[in-house]
Amino acid sequence: MTTVPRLVEGAQRPRRRKNAAGGKRLVPYLFIAPFLVLFAVFLVTPIFVALWNSLFSAQSLGLGFGGVQTVFVGLDNFIRAFVDSDFIASFGRVLLYGLVQVPVMMIFATALAMLFDSALVRGKRFFQFAVFLPYAIPGVIAALLWGFLYQPAVSPLLQGLQNLGISPDLLAPGTVLWSITNVSIWSYTGINMIILFSALQAIPREMFEAARLDGAGELRIAISIKLPMIAPAVMLTILSSIIGTLQLFNEPQVLKSVTSSISSDYTPNMAIYAASTLGKDSHLGSAMAIILGVVTLLISVVLLKSRSDSKEGVGD
Amino acid sequence: MKSKIVKITGIAAAAALLAGGVTACTSGTAGNSSDSAAANAVTTLDFWGWVPGLEDLVTEWNTNNPDIQVTFHRMTGDDGTKVEAAVDAGAGPDIVQVSTHDLPSYIISGRVQDITAYVSDTESNFTPSSWASVTFNDAVYGVPQGVGPAATMYREDILAKYDIAVPTTWDEYLEAARKLHAANPKLYIANLSSSEIGQWMQEVQQAEGSWYGIDGDAWTVGVNDSASQQVAQRWQTLLDEHLVTTEQMWTPAYWSLVNKGTIATITYAAWFPVSLETNAPDTTGLWRVASMPKNTGSTYAGDSGGAADVVLKGAKNPEAAAKFISWLNGSDDTQEALITVGGLFPSTNSGLASSSLVQPVDFFGGHSINEVFVDAANNTPSTWVDGPNYNIAKTAVTDEFAKVIEGTETFAQALDNAQEATVSDLEAQGLSVSSSGE
Repeated sequence: MTTVPRLVEGAQRPRRRKNAAGGKRLVPYLFIAPFLVLFAVFLVTPIFVALWNSLFSAQSLGLGFGGVQTVFVGLDNFIRAFVDSDFIASFGRVLLYGLVQVPVMMIFATALAMLFDSALVRGKRFFQFAVFLPYAIPGVIAALLWGFLYQPAVSPLLQGLQNLGISPDLLAPGTVLWSITNVSIWSYTGINMIILFSALQAIPREMFEAARLDGAGELRIAISIKLPMIAPAVMLTILSSIIGTLQLFNEPQVLKSVTSSISSDYTPNMAIYAASTLGKDSHLGSAMAIILGVVTLLISVVLLKSRSDSKEGVGD
Repeated sequence: MKSKIVKITGIAAAAALLAGGVTACTSGTAGNSSDSAAANAVTTLDFWGWVPGLEDLVTEWNTNNPDIQVTFHRMTGDDGTKVEAAVDAGAGPDIVQVSTHDLPSYIISGRVQDITAYVSDTESNFTPSSWASVTFNDAVYGVPQGVGPAATMYREDILAKYDIAVPTTWDEYLEAARKLHAANPKLYIANLSSSEIGQWMQEVQQAEGSWYGIDGDAWTVGVNDSASQQVAQRWQTLLDEHLVTTEQMWTPAYWSLVNKGTIATITYAAWFPVSLETNAPDTTGLWRVASMPKNTGSTYAGDSGGAADVVLKGAKNPEAAAKFISWLNGSDDTQEALITVGGLFPSTNSGLASSSLVQPVDFFGGHSINEVFVDAANNTPSTWVDGPNYNIAKTAVTDEFAKVIEGTETFAQALDNAQEATVSDLEAQGLSVSSSGE
């Protein structure tokens, strides 16, 4: 899909080249062929299979012992998904989660990256590693670990707090979303910090010298030079974090086993899992997955659009 | 700048569509299985199951039956949910162990084979109720592998300390709950886990209810039937009066309650004592087993459901597979291993008569606990019928019960909501649903 515009661009180039190198035009395609094949088989095809699947439904008659027929039902599955108030509510839940999780994590990641980039920090390697380490722990394991820490009966943290007279219920209906938020901030701050840190390292050092000669302090350099210079990297990490937000699955699915506050359709992906795997209705699951994909796409586009608008507004 | 936006949008689009592709992977419809050409002399069978010790029994079979060789795969984690996708992809095993609650959905989706013709000799060794659980529309779809009669495990020391008699009816149970909690506010009669559907079903079954039924050519749904309402009322009272804890079962927090002696009774199936012994070592010798409390005017106990071995769609030689599972579960030679190593409560007459069933258990103070479970198995009503969308009903019930524990709805409302979800899913599958049930 993304290759089509490139093809058109290629066709508009000067003809001279094209004629001179008739056979050679194949070579670039050979180079991208491994990618294209995998892309087509594991990304494009499944999307079309899902789209196709979402238009059908497995139907039986009477008691159902006569067998199953797959019949075309048009948009029925999408209608079923949209009238499912729990599925719609799951979007609201992850958006609320994202509104808190993404900014908090990005502020942490940016601040840590800046600290590590500045000359102030001692033991830089150690602390960088320490911040990054949680990312190396698989999401399921992280959720299991935190699951232990959230249960008053077995958590040393909560038992310590109880001794101080504080007994928070971190798995209650009102608090469990923020407990999940905590797990993902802990898990993903490190990787975002590394991305931002490398963006910072790529800034030409002369700029800082020039700024210092002009009398700028470290804070001023950070805010007026470093931050704008790494804005594209910040944007990229925000975008991937938002996509991650909508795809939230591992942490709540694992914590579900220790608390009744998480329903089987707590997040859109959990609802899709419940419909397709537990409910054994892959057609409905496909329709729900397409809805999730479209919502993700819309949010991404709106975000990118808003960024380009605001950039024009600032007018540097 | 514009081209950059286009590029990033492209990435976003790809990422978004990736989300769309997630379920597509698991949604492939039936493909023709073509594992290997039919073997001439030796039949090989793939068998997936979870009962401990099956490896040894399979080895024993393979030694005695050179023409039918079985390979065993132990199911762990979410292997159970993988089976259906594997069958659809033509890569499934020949035989799999399933919960009898899941069986109708396997039958309706055509993933199991009718083995009536091969198992008629075996039937006589199985209890009628267990055989009924694998029979639908006069066709047999599996061989029973254990059942789950329920009884009440109780802390003899705690009840004795507060001078509370072991409750024999649910009314006495409520009184005992009140008395215990009043005597020591740190103690509770039981734990109510919204996710542990087996504990719910055994009491619904005890009260002669059923989630499903067959009315002519239509299903009836009884998730909120009068038996369920009766059980709901019981637990609503216990919950409202704060007489039970509400941890999720099987969590560290739950076992901590058990080990600390916070909860005095656990009512569950015959396979539970082994788990209790493993997870509550601090309480060795303190537990006893009694019949579960009865409903007024009834002598029935409950059962949370059993398992069965079924022959899956892709199996090339269903006769050989049926022969193997008949031997594994129905032969007199295998009962002792299934009971002592497997921890199964037998679904066979020879198993129930086996002396290995009534061995004394140190964890329960040297008492032989299975006599109580045998009694329960003999007093289980035969009203329970399993239906085609058990997983949907189970998910709906557990999600709704979580709200009950949160206090945002009552058990009665939860049952009505789950009933509606179950019926509408059946109708979405095109199945007939009759409302003439309860």
